Amino acid sequence: MKRGPKARPGTKWRTAAQERVYGRRLLEALRATAALGPRAVKEAADSALAFTARGRSRWSRAILLSPRRKARLLLRTGSKIRRGRRRARAAEAGGRLRGRLRVLRRLVPGCRKLSAGSLLEEAADYVAALEMQVKAMRALADALSAAPAAAAAAEPGSRGGV
Amino acid sequence: MGPARSSGVGSGNSGAYATEIAESLRFEEEIHSIVHPGLDSPPAAGGSFTALLGLPANQAVELLHETGPSEAPGSAAAPSPTGELWRLRLGEHAAGPLHLPLGCSPTFPSNVALVERAARFSVFAAEDSPALSSGGGPSPRLKAEPPDSDSPPTLLIPAEKTQRLAKRKECEKSKAKGPAKKSKSAEENTAAAAKETAAENTDGEKLPYVHVRARRGQATDSHSLAERARREKINARMKLLQELVPGCSKITGTALVLDEIINHVQSLQRQVEFLSMRLAAVNPRIDFGGLDSFLSAECGPLATANGRGGVALDPALWSSHPVTANGARWLPQPQIRHVDVWPTQQSSTAWTRDGAAHPHALLNPGAALFGYDPASSVSLNSNQLKTEL
Repeated sequence: MKRGPKARPGTKWRTAAQERVYGRRLLEALRATAALGPRAVKEAADSALAFTARGRSRWSRAILLSPRRKARLLLRTGSKIRRGRRRARAAEAGGRLRGRLRVLRRLVPGCRKLSAGSLLEEAADYVAALEMQVKAMRALADALSAAPAAAAAAEPGSRGGV
Repeated sequence: MGPARSSGVGSGNSGAYATEIAESLRFEEEIHSIVHPGLDSPPAAGGSFTALLGLPANQAVELLHETGPSEAPGSAAAPSPTGELWRLRLGEHAAGPLHLPLGCSPTFPSNVALVERAARFSVFAAEDSPALSSGGGPSPRLKAEPPDSDSPPTLLIPAEKTQRLAKRKECEKSKAKGPAKKSKSAEENTAAAAKETAAENTDGEKLPYVHVRARRGQATDSHSLAERARREKINARMKLLQELVPGCSKITGTALVLDEIINHVQSLQRQVEFLSMRLAAVNPRIDFGGLDSFLSAECGPLATANGRGGVALDPALWSSHPVTANGARWLPQPQIRHVDVWPTQQSSTAWTRDGAAHPHALLNPGAALFGYDPASSVSLNSNQLKTEL
């Protein structure tokens, strides 16, 4: 499998175009979810992120190809995250690199059996993508939470304006 | 000398030498077969000669030409048919590539010499200049010999071959030993490169060749080389990650950097969770199930407030959109289909129409977030998004 010159994940995910693309997908995904609730939202957001990655990275393929299973896994990792901190510290004491690599493997979806080099590569891409996801979701949440208030405030203004 | 050397290099070392020996022997046979039966198809023979000789032939001719002037006086001084042939050869060479139809039998001795020369020079071409100069030693000897007659050259060929073979082996050995003694870098490079490719293939990586040079005092067996290559790859990736994660560039030590990376990933994932909780909390109010209702939440009061004319079109536009034609609610799907639904132009007009009357803070973040791409507001959206974030 040969790839051409690959853009660095830091630069690839931080472009405004990419944020726009993701924002669009995020909205569609949010609209498409029937279930309400934070978990469904998170699943939608993650699958939107994986879709925006176009399946070029292993973690995105893992999310896309098995949303149900991966969604459950994500939930489990979500709960594991709070417990995993202790486990990570325990692993620290155990093996320096091996333990941490194991933790990283659990965190990045779809990278359970990757070698160290590929794992780090996937992790770089995943970190960049996550940062973009957080940005977009925060913007959306701010806009949506501000919208009703602004709409309510705009009513008298608009009435007066037009 | 340059082209001859390059041609030899292309053929390789000992393997090519064996083939050249075979070729030269074949030439001998052809010479014999052609000389003895008669002069039936000299051009064909010549053609085959040239074909067999290929490139070295021309270069051998050139070399002939070079050595020719030195011989011409000699051959002129001792007139012999072969001497004249040498001159003829030179004349031919001046004209161009080998032309054999001049005369068949006279050309053969020179051809024999040509063959020897070609073989010798192509053989020696693979070696360095010292070898070439040593090969140049026997060549004048040989040049003096062919003018004598046919049979001595043919006899000489095997003798010369053995001599050349011995010389060549020595040269090869010395050449092999030299670099090995000087530095192990060549071996290491190839070994490391091989290991790199092997590692690359197994990992399925996309990195190009990485040449690893063993430093002084480091082990050079293949295992440590492979490990070192692997370590360097991992360190390169770690550097990338360090740049990505804030505050990692100051930390030294792979383990601590990994710790930081893990913490960063965990914090990002937690943020995603919290934000999704926020969005879920916001969602029911906006009623995400329907596009028109979502928009109406923002434009609804405005629609009622503003005149019917312009703004009232928008809900109609939205409802006529195939998306909302499904009903006010998306059908729940096991997989979320990501279809680009937003009609950019309509939305842009909607936003811009309302934009005049409404606070920009409301509309612009929304527009920026929705990612409309009207040509005018592309930069505006990105700016807005950036300031938001």
